[in-house]
Amino acid sequence: MNAEGIYDAVVIGAGVVGASSAWHLAQAGLSVALVDAEGPAAAASGASDGAVSVASKKPGPLARLATASLLYTRDLAQGGPLSSAYHPRPSYIFGTGSAESAAIDALIAKLAQLGTAVRLRADGDATLLPGVGTGIDRVVALEGEGHMPGYAAVQGYLREPRIDRFWPAPVTALEESGSEVRIVLGTQTLRAKRVIAALGTATPRLFPTLPVLPRAGQLFVTDRGLAGQLPGALTSAAYLLAKTTAPSVLPKPPVVIDPLATGQYLIGSTREDHGDPTRVDFETLRELMLRAVEAWPALRARRVIRAFAGVRAAVSDGLPIVGSAPGYERVLLATGFEGDGICLSAVIGREAARMTAGLSPDAALAADFAALSPARFAQVQEGAA
Amino acid sequence: MFNPEILIVGAGLAGVAAATELARAGHPVLIVDRAARAGGAIHRQPLPGQAGVATAAARWNRLIAEAEALPIRWAFETRFNGVDHQGTALLTGAENRMLRPKALILTTGAREAVRPRPGWTLPGVTTAGAAQIQLKTMGAAPQGRVVLAGSGPLLIALGAQMTRLKNPPVAIVEAGRPFAHPLTSLRLPLGYLREAAGYMATLLAARVPILTGTRLAAIRAEGETLVSTLTDGNTSREIVADMVCLHDGIRRNDIGLTDCPALSVLRLGDCAEALGARAALEAGRAGGRAMAQALATGTTPTAPNSPLLDRERAAQARLARIYAHDDFAALHSLPSDTVICRCEGRTLDDLRALGPAPRTRELRLLGRFGMGPCQGRFCGEWVARAISDTPQAPVPAHPLGEPRWPAAPIAVADLHAAAPDTGAAPPHPHGVHE
Amino acid sequence: MSGGTIFWGSRAVPFLTGESVASALGRAGVRSFGLGPTGTARAVFCGIGQCQNCLVSIEGRSAEACLTICRDGLHVLPEAEGLSDV
Ligand SMILES: Cc1cc2nc3c(=O)[nH]c(=O)nc-3n(C[C@H](O)[C@H](O)[C@H](O)COP(=O)(O)OP(=O)(O)OC[C@H]3O[C@@H](n4cnc5c(N)ncnc54)[C@H](O)[C@@H]3O)c2cc1C
Ligand code: FES
Repeated sequence: MNAEGIYDAVVIGAGVVGASSAWHLAQAGLSVALVDAEGPAAAASGASDGAVSVASKKPGPLARLATASLLYTRDLAQGGPLSSAYHPRPSYIFGTGSAESAAIDALIAKLAQLGTAVRLRADGDATLLPGVGTGIDRVVALEGEGHMPGYAAVQGYLREPRIDRFWPAPVTALEESGSEVRIVLGTQTLRAKRVIAALGTATPRLFPTLPVLPRAGQLFVTDRGLAGQLPGALTSAAYLLAKTTAPSVLPKPPVVIDPLATGQYLIGSTREDHGDPTRVDFETLRELMLRAVEAWPALRARRVIRAFAGVRAAVSDGLPIVGSAPGYERVLLATGFEGDGICLSAVIGREAARMTAGLSPDAALAADFAALSPARFAQVQEGAA
Repeated sequence: MFNPEILIVGAGLAGVAAATELARAGHPVLIVDRAARAGGAIHRQPLPGQAGVATAAARWNRLIAEAEALPIRWAFETRFNGVDHQGTALLTGAENRMLRPKALILTTGAREAVRPRPGWTLPGVTTAGAAQIQLKTMGAAPQGRVVLAGSGPLLIALGAQMTRLKNPPVAIVEAGRPFAHPLTSLRLPLGYLREAAGYMATLLAARVPILTGTRLAAIRAEGETLVSTLTDGNTSREIVADMVCLHDGIRRNDIGLTDCPALSVLRLGDCAEALGARAALEAGRAGGRAMAQALATGTTPTAPNSPLLDRERAAQARLARIYAHDDFAALHSLPSDTVICRCEGRTLDDLRALGPAPRTRELRLLGRFGMGPCQGRFCGEWVARAISDTPQAPVPAHPLGEPRWPAAPIAVADLHAAAPDTGAAPPHPHGVHE
Repeated sequence: MSGGTIFWGSRAVPFLTGESVASALGRAGVRSFGLGPTGTARAVFCGIGQCQNCLVSIEGRSAEACLTICRDGLHVLPEAEGLSDV
């Protein structure tokens, strides 16, 4: 904060994207405050799996940004803020039947275009990974991806002491006048030269014109077993399809089996068009578990000890929103990451901080960031008018 | 189509009483319990062929005879894993299926509170309730030298039951000073006084040492024996035993029990309010009638109330005063490596590492408190009190987060076998007591 | 009433009809049920299925010893020994 009490930047939202942005701003020597309605990792970042995965991204800007973010996450894990949050590990995609096999072929083609960050290590049948069920036709092993629980990443970024923190403090209004933005937190008001709004599902509350919608996902956690039996995430090819196909035409329920460092398994997750985290049901649990056990039969001997739902912020066209907020000069949006925010957070935070400092994005990524600009919705609206 | 059942969870006094009232009103009732037989906490039945330790046996025998004459369906060794937002309940075990009941009555009873102490996770250290269950099912006292410690009337009751079964405890260690409140004690209901006098007579006749104002501070293992350190604030001493039974009070067992917008849900007995056996019977009956009434009129049932429940409430408040003692100081002076969360092995140090006033999410995700399979049943209260700096601060109802299912871990193999409810008739006719 | 025999590892343990695994093991002098996955000692604590401290591996599945009723020939192991997934 300068002598007049004005921050160089205030970041709203202490999820993984906001925390990464605040950390990057502090590294650049800017004075920064981080504000959250509840506290760190209070929403999706604290109720999600933490796959840092390129394989699951839609081809195009998302897959390229995920690749860049994976490489950068690895850097930040080398003694940096993510060193205790990020863990490299192999990943496995499995499928049964022709639709899932075709999805795996498409994945292999996509990875080949993205360079060497994620490599295909093996492509075979169920015997490729000991423990996989015999009903599975095809398994591919990938190398280069990793896992990072969202709350652990947030905690890593927040070890930076030069970030001022305000929570619980819901932002009720943003007022831009001249060279300053006033961030109203109930009775208190912060002043900043720039704002980054990383509000997740709460985006429409401050930016009602943006098509950010809640998309809930149910997750289930088993009891502990021996850690390391499944070396990395086991993802059904239907999950890749789920990102591009309507749920009703999926060949199998999309499932991800993620081994946690504790020896527990996390089983996820659905994509449901609502924002109610209390809607967690036994029939869904059973359906996901049936498919999960087909892939990893040892799960049959486990017990489910926790069930919850996280709510992702989805955007109507399936792409995140990063760029200048409509109607504001000094407010940058970084939202709408749906199921990919933990993976993308390193690069998004870095680039959001650059843009806030008045720099343009990394040249190699400029075109991909342009595709995320909120201006695309203004054009749609004008076109329709 | 089959008329859906009312599901009652817990075949203790409250559950069986509610089942009786509902069945009499003509409703199909399914009562489940994860135990092998009806009885709950207080009327835990002996194994077939073993002599029991009857507690108010006439009360139970009357109730169970009444229930068995009615068309109630019983499912034992059956676990209720919870109810989801759609009103689907999951049962696993002997009866293994999903069920959309017409209404749900939760009578899951109480749980014991045990204040953490060094050594409380050692084998041979159990709750007093566990020892009492063993005693009631086997008709025999636990063997070897047994120390009963903590606070509350259960210690005296269990000590007397053990004495009558010829293995008196080597000591009863009570943190409060219950005998220092004669005036409050005399205002307890007569039944309480008579019961307590009977227990005391047994204990005095057998010369069982009752150390009041004394805490069992720590336990360590020496080979197969357990050495407990006792302290009365001034002096400390050690006592050697084979088994240590701890008990620091009774709480309602409502972990993992959610309300459900799609269903009428009523909580009765100790899982609503831990008021003891007489209250559980009364609340079960009144609650069963209230549910029948609500179903007949399409209204929401309300929790029962009555002069008897008020009297029991007042009596429990008096008991709390009689046994009051400063366990806040005891909690705050624990060695920092004392395990607080038994499931995940998390210590006081781990709790303090979260900084001042950690939020629920931090307690769970970073501290892993409440993340084990007991879901914080045994650590929640102590975590809340250890991070608070005022002894009188009330403990929130759910210190480690709002309840959510599962109420008990779900075996994946059972889940697979649990067919969704199709609205068809249940697997066995009503009135079959298996 | 004698109900039969369960096995704690290779050791035969008799049980009474209706008795829990925890009770039968306890009467046979087995009060430590080995280790859980985090290295904590498994043993009876609450006796009614709430604390999850008495988990053992029964026929390959983790289960509460205090809630599981003995059946003749049941194979019981320390939980950690029954955990392998592959
Ligand atoms: C250790 C202890 C000692 C006590 N001593 C006394 C005493 O001396 N005098 C006195 O008046 N009161 C005593 N009480 C209190 C008394 O036992 C209760 O007030 C009374 O029995 C409560 O009846 P209830 O029906 O509410 O619960 P309970 O009788 O406890 O019945 C609950 C039933 O629910 C079952 N259950 C729980 N969860 C599930 C699930 N998820 N799925 C399936 N089944 C489930 C349990 O197995 C149990 O059978 C004691 C309580 C305890 C815990
Ligand atoms: S002893 Fe607590 S669950 Fe078995």
